[in-house]
Amino acid sequence: MTFADYFLLSIFYFWASSTALSLGIGYYTIYRPVMAGMIAGLILKDAQKGMMAGAVVNIIYIDFVSTGGSFKGDQCLTAILAAMASILFNLHPLEASALAYPFGFLGILIWKYRLKINNVFVHIYEKKYKDKKNPDISVYDGLLPQALLLLMSSLVFVAAAFLMFLLNDIINFKNIGALYYIGLILVIFSAFNVLHKIKNKYNFIIFALTFLAVELFDIRAYIIFVLICFSLMLTADKNIGFAKNEFRGIIKKGDMVYSWFIWMNYSHSCYSYERLMGLAFAHSMKNILKKLYDNKYEISEAVHNHTEFFNTEPNIGAPILGYIISLEEKRRKTKQSFEDISYIKKGMMGISAGLGDSFTQVVLAPLFISMAVMLSLDNSFYPALIPVIILAALILFISYTGFMNGYFKGKEFMLQRIKNVKESKVKIYFPYMFSGILGLSMSRLLLNNNRPYENIFTIFIIILTSGISFMRKRGER
Amino acid sequence: MDEVFVRIDDRLLHGQVVVSWIPYLKANLVVVADDEYAKDEFMRSLIESSGPEGVKVHVKTIEETAEFLKDDRDNRILVLLRSIEGIRKLSKKAKVANINIGGLGAGERRKRYYNSIHLSDDELNILKEMANDNIYVEVRILPKDKAIVIKGS
Repeated sequence: MTFADYFLLSIFYFWASSTALSLGIGYYTIYRPVMAGMIAGLILKDAQKGMMAGAVVNIIYIDFVSTGGSFKGDQCLTAILAAMASILFNLHPLEASALAYPFGFLGILIWKYRLKINNVFVHIYEKKYKDKKNPDISVYDGLLPQALLLLMSSLVFVAAAFLMFLLNDIINFKNIGALYYIGLILVIFSAFNVLHKIKNKYNFIIFALTFLAVELFDIRAYIIFVLICFSLMLTADKNIGFAKNEFRGIIKKGDMVYSWFIWMNYSHSCYSYERLMGLAFAHSMKNILKKLYDNKYEISEAVHNHTEFFNTEPNIGAPILGYIISLEEKRRKTKQSFEDISYIKKGMMGISAGLGDSFTQVVLAPLFISMAVMLSLDNSFYPALIPVIILAALILFISYTGFMNGYFKGKEFMLQRIKNVKESKVKIYFPYMFSGILGLSMSRLLLNNNRPYENIFTIFIIILTSGISFMRKRGER
Repeated sequence: MDEVFVRIDDRLLHGQVVVSWIPYLKANLVVVADDEYAKDEFMRSLIESSGPEGVKVHVKTIEETAEFLKDDRDNRILVLLRSIEGIRKLSKKAKVANINIGGLGAGERRKRYYNSIHLSDDELNILKEMANDNIYVEVRILPKDKAIVIKGS
């Protein structure tokens, strides 16, 4: 690896794991192992190998949800390291993932301390505000936390990469057969784990049937992908759309789009234990409040109001921001107290977080990302980008329409959105689709390489691990 | 009544509760005990319509919640409250055996107690008093986390 490679990979790791500065879709695209592996591969001039390693890491982390569940290492770091190991040490994707897996835990350091460290920026901002220095929210919500994160994630990445190279010098991993089997065990454990998590009677049966069907009839991933997309299109709710109202107040469309843009880029930028997304909320209100008030002290106070504790799912919860903007616009005339606005924010944020996470993170992301994994394990590398692009477009659509409709329709839109999400058919069909996708992915992973069926030992390991992980979870019930 | 789990969380019915706690507790009924929201028609319908699949959500005043808990025998209930003050009121009117603290944002007088849990001195004292009355008080954000038990003085 050259110095430039290190530099580019550090920047990429920062960008992907920051989940800021990527229009809110970074978390659903470049942060995911299959994409992170591909981009790391692109930097190291072998995108396909990188994507393959990333896809395997993605299966190991397939049961990841940020609101609890099993927290392993940092999936993005693991994927970048696996891509590096696969390309530079010429390892099989399973071997590369097994090797990268322990180093991925270094990435937790950042996630763990980020929420604590970001408190510091909250404190500095508060102090400046108290001293009447009119602090600029974009500095404390955007610039400083991101600069610190760039430093931290680069250090972690370089340290992890350095350790991995050092270890490879001591033990030449190419000659260690066991690594392949460790990778295999990790992948099988994870697949069974996630199948147990989705509580559905038929998931194991569907998984097994797709697995066997692919082994016997060589069913290609793109056929399944097209079928799933087609059925999604048929069941989709066609009544959801863009707001068609006119802007009659002081706030114009451009202001709304800018505010949305800031929200999407910075919702998790200064995520701290004390305020969570509070500073981000204020940050995205800044340009709006600047338009509503003239005096710089008034603006500063109005922005400061919104730095209070706030937490939601940023996309499903986008109507809250639109609605609050409309309330702020009215408040300028009525001089109503901020408490009334704060009360609504607090009441709505929890609901949209609960509903949002159980939809975007638990259904949409796993569905589309697993399709990307499935396609890339079937050697369709460019088509594998399609589900990721669809996912990103859906997230943008959900959040943009929510933001605008929240402004025009207010509270009623929130009720409508809850209804839409609850009645969404994707949720019902998700377990079936997902089990099938996983079955196909696992089957392709084992079929694709030359090693698995060459000896009895591999088959023995596969059956044993499957048996153990199946029984282990059965026992827990 | 043994099946009641009480959680204090100022975000009420949010991601951690829906994705982790409800499945973990196998709860089929969530009662949001909050005087302010119970009296606000719109907020009440908003919260009540937001439960996940197969889980009913009721918004009740603290008084109504206490009454409800006395009568109900059939459900696995998760009670959500926004404040320590609320739980103090509830525990006087109904029998509360255990309390889980899952999220309290920073405030004027509050200090950080643990991660995203902030408590003022007064609030901590209320909790300690409750612990003295043999109520099990724990700080636990997610089911898989280790509980920090608040003991009486």
